Amino acid sequence: MGTDNIALIAHLMRRAGFGATRTEIEAYAAQGYDATVEALINPANPQWMGDYMIRRFHHEQSGMMGPRANGENWLYRMITTSAPLLEKMCLFWHSIFATGYPKVIHGKVLWDQINMFRRHGMGRFNTLLVELSKDPAMIVWLDNQDNHKGAINENYGRELLELFSMGVGNYSEDDIKACARAFTGWTIGNTEYMVLRSERDSDWPYGRIAWHFERRADDHDAGEKTFLGQTGPFDGEDIIDIICQQESTARFIARHLYHFFVADEPPVPSWPYTPPRHPEAIERLVQAYFDSDYDIRSMLRVLFNADFFKADNIRYEKVKSPAEFTAGILRLTGEFDRPRREMLNRALQMTWMGQQLNNPPSVEGWHQGTAWIDTGTLVERINFASEQFGDVKKPGVKAMIDKVLADNGNAASGEHLVDACLDQMGAITVSDKTRSILTQFALQRHDVSTEEQVREKVANLFRLAAASHEFQRA
Amino acid sequence: MAIQTDFLTYRLTIGLSTMEGRGFYYPSDTVIGHNHHLYVLNRSLEGVDRGIRVTMCDLDSAYYGTFGSYGESDGQFVWPSGGAVDAQGHIYITDEYLHRVSAFDASGTFLATWGVHGSGAGQLEGPSGIACDGQGNLYVSDTHNHRIQKFSASGNPLLCFGVQGSGNGQCHLPWGLTVGPNGDVYVADWGNDRIQRFASNGAFVASYGEPGRGHGQFTRPASVAVDPEGYMYIADWGNERVQVLDPDGGFVQNLRGEATLSVWAVNFLNVNKEEGAARARANLEPEIPLSDPDDPHEVSSHIEKYFWSPMSVKLDEAGQLYVTESNRHRIQIYGRTA
Repeated sequence: MGTDNIALIAHLMRRAGFGATRTEIEAYAAQGYDATVEALINPANPQWMGDYMIRRFHHEQSGMMGPRANGENWLYRMITTSAPLLEKMCLFWHSIFATGYPKVIHGKVLWDQINMFRRHGMGRFNTLLVELSKDPAMIVWLDNQDNHKGAINENYGRELLELFSMGVGNYSEDDIKACARAFTGWTIGNTEYMVLRSERDSDWPYGRIAWHFERRADDHDAGEKTFLGQTGPFDGEDIIDIICQQESTARFIARHLYHFFVADEPPVPSWPYTPPRHPEAIERLVQAYFDSDYDIRSMLRVLFNADFFKADNIRYEKVKSPAEFTAGILRLTGEFDRPRREMLNRALQMTWMGQQLNNPPSVEGWHQGTAWIDTGTLVERINFASEQFGDVKKPGVKAMIDKVLADNGNAASGEHLVDACLDQMGAITVSDKTRSILTQFALQRHDVSTEEQVREKVANLFRLAAASHEFQRA
Repeated sequence: MAIQTDFLTYRLTIGLSTMEGRGFYYPSDTVIGHNHHLYVLNRSLEGVDRGIRVTMCDLDSAYYGTFGSYGESDGQFVWPSGGAVDAQGHIYITDEYLHRVSAFDASGTFLATWGVHGSGAGQLEGPSGIACDGQGNLYVSDTHNHRIQKFSASGNPLLCFGVQGSGNGQCHLPWGLTVGPNGDVYVADWGNDRIQRFASNGAFVASYGEPGRGHGQFTRPASVAVDPEGYMYIADWGNERVQVLDPDGGFVQNLRGEATLSVWAVNFLNVNKEEGAARARANLEPEIPLSDPDDPHEVSSHIEKYFWSPMSVKLDEAGQLYVTESNRHRIQIYGRTA
């Protein structure tokens, strides 16, 4: 098995998943790259720890009244799933259709929204936008329950065009008004009671009641509307059909996919004034969008199979988001072989790194790339990784150490020890500079006369490698 | 035996979602004391030091205070799970995070705690269900060790039975359990979707149910109660319902839940008039096109009166059934139809 193939599969799994163990990478490599891409974009019967098992022990992850349980539940999914791209796509859409607890005040409906991404996130974009427009958490997040026939609230209509599909500069203020009119009457059931409880953070008398979409014909403006040059008695679905026909929509989604999976683009607000980093790549994704009738899965297939994705010069250039970073480490350490209360702490540390799931900083979501890193969050990331890899009793760490020692024996040279450690952390390729620092550490005189000390030395190499440029990035 | 659909009839609901004082927050079990007081174990939110407590009240919604709090010291809890009462009225509460059993007197004064974490003889790994037999001994579901252990009231190990598996007499993550009228032990064999019955010496007697959502089938049962005639009442947790089986395991009745406003809930809505008025105008049983209408957890999240995470079933002396619902922070009470 060629090391090139191993390195490429490792790259794919870092970007389309949360990294992988050396054993997993070998299994994927045996299938071949193309087959691995197909398995990622068409996950058959995804397996994970499962709701029953988690709800049995984490009771709050069943009722989900508060702000944290849904993120903890999602983290369980990320670290135990056999379909990692499904979860990455949920993160992708969550960062674009960013909806947060502080306004919604209902953990279950935010969890429902992520589940909707799980069902539709790799399907057709027009279906996803219709589902998003009916999503109760989104309706309340952007006030569409206040969008009435004859008295529109433009909030959802505006963001649908600006942040969720086309981007600024591609529509007029009149288009926004027409769009808002088309979504009048799209609300949640029992609006008055549910919104009142949300505003009061009321879980009385018997906990929160999940929200459901309701279309009120009597509050819907069925009149003629002119939207992006087309005229008709448009409803929300018609508006979404027109949105999805636009080249600007295709470009917007293509650039987001490139930004998330390939290489960092500047923050979204500057896109109208800054050309894409790789215009040809965007063109190919736009073509895939139209060729496939707006199918996200088809765009992903083109993306992962493209030379611009496989290229050497984009590897280890994307800073992992806190969710990716945390999930990747916990998949390696194998701590969560069953529900454990320690999950609360792990999810909390992700928050300290700058990302609390279901609580984005604004409707624009999180800025990606180097925006994840500052002097505070970098220390949190390094400390977290160091703490997790430093616990030699964790089953995944133990297995990694076993394999390093089996490959090299106790008397391995510094260079070989470094190679074996990087291999076990997910077939990581490092720069000469990183290698030199790790080797220097491996060659230092340590008191390694007992097996315990040898194992600790290997764990210390994992900890040091986790602070490297390459491990912090994907 | 013919299926009887009105074996049990709904009576009332008690409870209110509160993190302090009068009310419940993610209750995991209810103990019916000899003084007719109810001791409701509140698991509360994780990672928050409020809300974990035992609420003392009664069927008439009289409130007698709370005891216990979050922590690892004597008398405190992290993951309170199951409770039982002995002949003296002492209350025993398991903690499946601290791997121990704590004892309190009827007023809630801490008496003792015991339990050693591990998988060896007499050790515990995630104790959950607990029940007292006629001799004052305690049976405990040693959940992650996939077995049942019997202890004296002071924690001396007396008996251990069950190993991990799905065969007769084997268990997979057992949860609630109870002692039947003749001393047999009935176990909610959670991971195997069945109820298992053992003699008091641990010998396998019978198995009831199979995986599924139909009559006589279970999805991850949480708790079982048995009346003096041998009828079994099962908190069919994954199906969000309660099932009644006859003494031979034949299906009798399914309950989906029909909660009404408790005394405390009425009190709250009377004080918070705007919320009460909005509630009165709402349709709390809407017809909803759900993404997964076959998922009872999803249905229960939308329809407030249905059971949502029924975690415990207990019988009082009068034969009334108390169904503790974790996600709805309340107890629904049913009685035998006259």
